[in-house]
Amino acid sequence: MADSEGKLSAAREAMDTIVEISTLLNTGLDADTLAICVRLCESGANPEALAKVIQDLQRESTALKEADSTVS
Amino acid sequence: MVEHARGLYDKKEAFSSYKLQHALSPYYKVALTTLGSSIYSLTETDEFEIAEKIKRKFVRQKRDKDAAVFSELHRILQGQKLLRNRWAILYLLHRLSGESTSKQKGGTSSTFFHSLSSHLVSTPFVSQHSGQLTTDGSAKIHSVTGSSTASSGISSIRSSFHSNDPSPVPQSVPPSYLKTPAGAQLLRGGQVLPSTGERVLHLLGRNQTDTTLMLRSDRTISTTSTSYRMSRKPGSSDELSEAVILRELVYVFRGIEGKYIKYDVTKEGYRIDAKAGIPRALRKAVAKLAECGWMYNQIWKYADSRSTDRAFGLVGQSFCDALHQELTEYYRLMSVLEAQLKQNDDEVLSDHGSELTVRRLAVWMCGPHIRLKTMAALVDVCQGKKGGALATAIHSYLQHGDPTVRSLIRHMLALVAQPIFSTIITWQYHGELEDTYHEFFVASDPTVKNERLWHEKYTLRKSMIPSFISLEQAKKILLTGKSVNFLRQVCHDRTSIRSRDIIRQTETNQVESIFSQDVNGIFQKMIDAVYKETSRHLLDILHTKYKFVDHLKAMRRYLLLGQGDFIRYLMDLLEDDLAKPPQMLFLHNLTSILETAIRGTNAQYDDIDILRRLDVRLLEVSPGDIGWDVFSLDYHVDGPVQTVFTPESMIIYLRVFNFLWRAKRMEYILAGIWKSQMSNARILKSMPELSVVLHHCHMLASEMVHFVQQVQYYINFEVLECSWDELLNKMNDAEDLDCVIAAHQVFLDTISTRCLLDKQSQGKWGVTETEERKEERRRKDFRHTMLSATKAQLSVLASSYQEIWPPSSSYAINLEQRHKNFNFRLDFNEQYNARDPKLRRSRVPHKTKRRDREEKMKQRSDE
Repeated sequence: MADSEGKLSAAREAMDTIVEISTLLNTGLDADTLAICVRLCESGANPEALAKVIQDLQRESTALKEADSTVS
Repeated sequence: MVEHARGLYDKKEAFSSYKLQHALSPYYKVALTTLGSSIYSLTETDEFEIAEKIKRKFVRQKRDKDAAVFSELHRILQGQKLLRNRWAILYLLHRLSGESTSKQKGGTSSTFFHSLSSHLVSTPFVSQHSGQLTTDGSAKIHSVTGSSTASSGISSIRSSFHSNDPSPVPQSVPPSYLKTPAGAQLLRGGQVLPSTGERVLHLLGRNQTDTTLMLRSDRTISTTSTSYRMSRKPGSSDELSEAVILRELVYVFRGIEGKYIKYDVTKEGYRIDAKAGIPRALRKAVAKLAECGWMYNQIWKYADSRSTDRAFGLVGQSFCDALHQELTEYYRLMSVLEAQLKQNDDEVLSDHGSELTVRRLAVWMCGPHIRLKTMAALVDVCQGKKGGALATAIHSYLQHGDPTVRSLIRHMLALVAQPIFSTIITWQYHGELEDTYHEFFVASDPTVKNERLWHEKYTLRKSMIPSFISLEQAKKILLTGKSVNFLRQVCHDRTSIRSRDIIRQTETNQVESIFSQDVNGIFQKMIDAVYKETSRHLLDILHTKYKFVDHLKAMRRYLLLGQGDFIRYLMDLLEDDLAKPPQMLFLHNLTSILETAIRGTNAQYDDIDILRRLDVRLLEVSPGDIGWDVFSLDYHVDGPVQTVFTPESMIIYLRVFNFLWRAKRMEYILAGIWKSQMSNARILKSMPELSVVLHHCHMLASEMVHFVQQVQYYINFEVLECSWDELLNKMNDAEDLDCVIAAHQVFLDTISTRCLLDKQSQGKWGVTETEERKEERRRKDFRHTMLSATKAQLSVLASSYQEIWPPSSSYAINLEQRHKNFNFRLDFNEQYNARDPKLRRSRVPHKTKRRDREEKMKQRSDE
């Protein structure tokens, strides 16, 4: 049990580090999104493709928000 | 299946763009396609490369600080063992980072759709990864993982296991997501389902071994590895395993006692515990290896205690430094050994056969053992020594037969000699002595004043002359620096000395030349050249600026009566004054007379500076003296020339002057007597009865004249001129100031000896008390007889003169050749010899005779 706990804290530490790097690099990803991304990467997703998807989705979301704001 | 896989992404997207409230099924599809397509080839899959890229980016944006922060974070990340696809994460972050996003953007939502749809069309959902599982996105992901992870270090271990063990997730992620990958696996296909449990178990197990491996490869002393070793070699009851011995040895090498090899205070060394179960075969080797520890201890103690001791001096410090350098090498070896020891433990699993054994260690330690031994010997020899003596001690080891030892010693000596060498250079070049700790072989006495700088300030410290510098070289070095100091401080000469800069430039970096002089003569050449140039410069300055030769000539002319007309005229002028008792003499009168004498003779053409230095000096008055006894000429010297004309040598000059002055006066008086005789002859012709007496008178006077003339001749030609010529020759050949001083000293010694003024001659000419009384009585008698009759007096005078006639060859036995010549000259026609051969054995001292003669002459003149 102690082992899994240690693992958990280690994971948290790793996650924190990644979040910090992410903010440094100004990726615009929040912690939760990042966690998902990390998990995807860990399970072997192509980071290039993933990056593309995320960028596209970000773009979409901003476009939608703009559209929303103009509508309202 | 597609839907299942989509489920995963569904969640992901719902999360990443959680702000969108709509169902976005087309996006899922597009996203899935994008992820599944192989169009996004990866240019780099190396973590390090990506990290470097990111750093470069920061630097480009002038965010150096952030770059540092990043590398720190990256380092932390690397420390984490849970993440395997670090490169992928970094890559992703890199791609998403501010700048790249903006670069890639530029399109609007419409283009997005457009491009997405084109993706849909152009790349078939099933890509060309035909050999592998083909029908779903997750299979794609696997294939990507398989190809990409191969390059990344730790994760590569897993590549064969199809990395799908649950990755760690932060707590913030809801537990439902935790299971996602596993869930995906479960959902992937019915046939996978039963194997999943096994796989996870397998992975977990693997993970543990992994950790241990990683720990060990990190070379930390971990409990795991220790326990490993212990468990590996349980050993028979008391036989120690080799690994234990090796570990002990590695500690002992650094002077740390082990469990079985202990420091024995009485025997001063590391001894193996007799009870320890070390195989006998190894005992000897271990004992020999343990020596290293002792030697290391010795060296370390010495170096450590001395390196903080400031009074130990520069040479000592550099010796310590050399030792430390060697010890650092030794430490390196130690760490290699330790690493090897660790590897030994690791390689238990895989039998490589290259593990460390005691025998192997013995072979490896062979070289270091010799080095340590040499250094220990040096340390032993150098105990309590410093400076040049230390260098000497090390130098004595340089001629070692073993080339490795020789090169070691050579290296150390080069370091040790460096401060000595640079001191020599600064000393020779600037005349500065940076020797706070009295290690240099030139010692300086700061209390000595400038006047005595040349003679007393600098001395050789014989014990500090390194053996690679000969005494002659040391003297030259001393002289060079002394000359520079003399120039700067006494001569106040600030001009740079020519052609020395080149020497300095070419010589500064060649420390080795100092102790390999038999191989190359660079050092010798340098010393010689610098010495020659400096000395030449000094002599030039002395000759041109301080007119040394002029002063010397002035001495010759005035103090040694070389300027005949001047002396004669001076005597004429002084005659009346000096006949008075010394109390009646006034210095200012005499000085003005001297001035007159200078004006009236050729002396007036001399340099004004020299004439200014010429002065009158009255000697100490002793009872019964008259002016003539206390009068003396004097010559003032100052400045650098004083180094040659020391007060001591000036006293000799004055003594010689006194002697010459008296001789001159005798000549002067006799000339006066002769004149009066000549004038009286005519007047006294009318009294024929006087002619006999007069004849006697003439005879006596001419004998005296003869004697005085011969003395004068001897002094002038055989003593003064010869020595003077010798002196001038030596002066021309002189290489340095010391030569000049020595030549001058020789000159003074010669003239004082030959003028019978030195101690040896004085001993012979001395007068004892009894002799004096006898003399008194004799004089009384003499006066009595003189009163009785002129004739009788004269005959007595004549006979007494005969009696005191000095030339006797028996005297000349121990005298110098010149003295013999003098005797020979006096009795050239052997008149005296023929008259009374017994006279030769006369025991009357010369000086008595001389005084006698003067007395008589005075009386004659009184008459």
